[in-house]
Amino acid sequence: MIEVKDLTKTLPNGRKVLDGISFKVKKGEFVGILGPSGAGKTLTLRCLNGLLKPDSGSVIVQDGNGEKHDICKIGKRELRQVRQRIGVIFQGYHLVKRLSVLENVMIGRVGQINTLRSLFYGFTDEEAEEAVKALDKVKIAHMAGNRTGSLSGGEMQRVAIARAIFQSPTLLLADEPISNLDPSNAKTIMKLIRPLSENIPVVGVFHQPEMTAKYCSRVIAIKEGKVIYDGDPKLSNKKLEEIYGEELGQLDQYEYSQQPSMVEAEMRLL
Amino acid sequence: MTSSKYSFKRYRKLIIPVISLLVVAEGAAIVCGATFDKLFTGLTRGFSFLAYMFPPQWNAFSEMVEPALQTILIAFLGTIFGTIMSVFFAILAASNISNKWVRFIARFLIGLERSVPEIVIILLLIAAFGLGAMSGVVALALGCIGMIGKLLADTIEELDSTMLESIESVGANKFQVINFGIMPQIMPNLISYTLFRFEINIRLSVLLGAVGAGGIGYELDYSFSMLQYHRALTAVIVIMIMVFGTEQLSSVLRKKFAGEGVLK
Amino acid sequence: MTNMDITLPSKKFKHKATIFSVAAIVVTVACIYINFNPLAIITEFHFIRDLLAEMFPPNYQSLTENSSTGYAILQTLSMALLGTLYGGIIAILLAFLSAPNTMPYKFVRLMVQAIVSLIRVMPTLVVVLIFVIAVGPGAFAGMLTLVFTIIGTFGKLFADVIENAEQSPGEAIYSVGASRLQVIRYSIVPQILPPLIASLLYSFDVSMRTAISLGIFGGGGIGFKFQLAKSVLHYKDMTAYISIIIVLVVLTEKLSDYLRRRILGEGKLR
Repeated sequence: MIEVKDLTKTLPNGRKVLDGISFKVKKGEFVGILGPSGAGKTLTLRCLNGLLKPDSGSVIVQDGNGEKHDICKIGKRELRQVRQRIGVIFQGYHLVKRLSVLENVMIGRVGQINTLRSLFYGFTDEEAEEAVKALDKVKIAHMAGNRTGSLSGGEMQRVAIARAIFQSPTLLLADEPISNLDPSNAKTIMKLIRPLSENIPVVGVFHQPEMTAKYCSRVIAIKEGKVIYDGDPKLSNKKLEEIYGEELGQLDQYEYSQQPSMVEAEMRLL
Repeated sequence: MTSSKYSFKRYRKLIIPVISLLVVAEGAAIVCGATFDKLFTGLTRGFSFLAYMFPPQWNAFSEMVEPALQTILIAFLGTIFGTIMSVFFAILAASNISNKWVRFIARFLIGLERSVPEIVIILLLIAAFGLGAMSGVVALALGCIGMIGKLLADTIEELDSTMLESIESVGANKFQVINFGIMPQIMPNLISYTLFRFEINIRLSVLLGAVGAGGIGYELDYSFSMLQYHRALTAVIVIMIMVFGTEQLSSVLRKKFAGEGVLK
Repeated sequence: MTNMDITLPSKKFKHKATIFSVAAIVVTVACIYINFNPLAIITEFHFIRDLLAEMFPPNYQSLTENSSTGYAILQTLSMALLGTLYGGIIAILLAFLSAPNTMPYKFVRLMVQAIVSLIRVMPTLVVVLIFVIAVGPGAFAGMLTLVFTIIGTFGKLFADVIENAEQSPGEAIYSVGASRLQVIRYSIVPQILPPLIASLLYSFDVSMRTAISLGIFGGGGIGFKFQLAKSVLHYKDMTAYISIIIVLVVLTEKLSDYLRRRILGEGKLR
């Protein structure tokens, strides 16, 4: 369960990038956050795991024991403890390229094991086996020994998901996980994320309304720092225009009618 | 008409800098006491002296082995300890790890160390601890910090910060971020810098040996001051073999480790 | 490309541990052999403390009374300047003679490469001792040693730069009937001169440090004055000299940075 209350943040130049963002996500929900660029989607997501501190508001998450913590207010140590059970995947994957795939997955639990042990001994064989199981869930266990840098984008994202799975998370966050992927890989990733939402809340930022319509259970739209929609993932065209701005619908028409057709262009050249 | 004007105008920009360079160079030459006839007499004297140094004292070669080993070990230990210290300083001096003040102090110390030649360092150490290998090793180790520390700090700062953030997001503390995020990524660079520094340290070890660290540098200096020039040539030859061997070893190791990338 | 044979973490740890132990043993044996006890620095720290007590506060008075300090600084600067200047010129010439695209005669190339290698392997100590015998102690010997050092450092480097210069502009010029020398002048020289000059300027502060070191061996300049102060145990003078050295090196760094930006940024070489 994650409960976001009244997040606000103002930039030094006065612009209000977050203006009272509030929503609540329970286990079993896969929430997609949509909105135009610069609306505050990614900022919101970064507030959810403490990478960004808002000026005011609260983000309450439950840790493994059911205790509630306010991410915006807790100290560094507590934050680290809470983060151990929050899985995050990023647009750019952000894995350690020179380590093997298996090691990258095992890093997921690095917060949960004793510091000294993690620095000097490393991981145990049992942890390695569990990591392989996590890799298996994303169907990439055969690449466990490969150097992560040699993987393709879709494969790396799957490793990132495996890392999140390995954490046994109570919450999964995704920052534009499919924006760098081709449509086929994007579908694969969405298909891997969705089942995870059965046991934990999943919150992801997306630029692809058609994907959220298909895979998410709920959609939240953010525009100019405010939540303007929270509900059914299937959005009508009218709703999309509202979210992304009128230009979306009309622009297509304008471009299409103004462009000379390909045939005309060829004839002019000849 | 126009073509000649064009070609001369182009060089007009160069006139002032070149003239000022010549003036400065001439002034510098006067200050150093450099004159052409001193140069020519010196060269002839130098070459005849070199010829006089031949042949090397053949039976002295076996005596040079142990001092050479000492010099190599001093350089080796100096590099090892120096690298360890440099990593420490470099991590503190990287802006993506440390806060402003720590970084400033670390960078300042690294810069400070860079400004002091190793000879000065060893002379101070000798004044404190006396002659011997210890002063040499410590001087070389401290000397590494300026070079490896700075290079490594810059390398760390150029790392992908998003990757480090990603590790932070799973709840890792600073040490774990360093161990899992930074160390694997900088390993090839670190190995490359260390091997390069080792080459430099071998030469320095010879030089410092003459000042009091012992080893073959001392043998060379001693032979010179005792006017045993054939023995000195023996030492020179041994040193040259040492330096050459180190360079080859270093480039082979560098190609092997830093090229393909070592998985930690 | 799959890799199922992942190394279990325990094996990896054993592997790492063995390497570390072997290295530790080698280092320990080496330390014992040359009688170096790293812990002695801590246990005998009082020596350093005593030395520092005698070195501070630095004695600037004796320096300013004696006009020779300013002259010594000038000498060190001159040594570095002339060493870099003449050494650089000779190194560039030798580089042209040893690069395949500027020197077609293999025999000449091999001879020059052998000479440069010989110069490079010559230990600085020997060079300075010989020059002191040849032209007498003082800044001149130091300057000549520096010339040697620069040739050794940059001879091969510059040859590599020349070799890696692009051939296509040269071929273009050649095909309109230019001689080899003209090809060099108009194609190669403009390409390589900026990086060469940048390297020389970059090495200027290293040359400064070398000049100071050479001073200690009888090469004149401020290194020599430092040595002098040490030999009569005038510790406070020594500290003053060290501070001057530090300032000098830092200023030289800044100067060479400035010169590099002005010369190369302006595009003086066209």
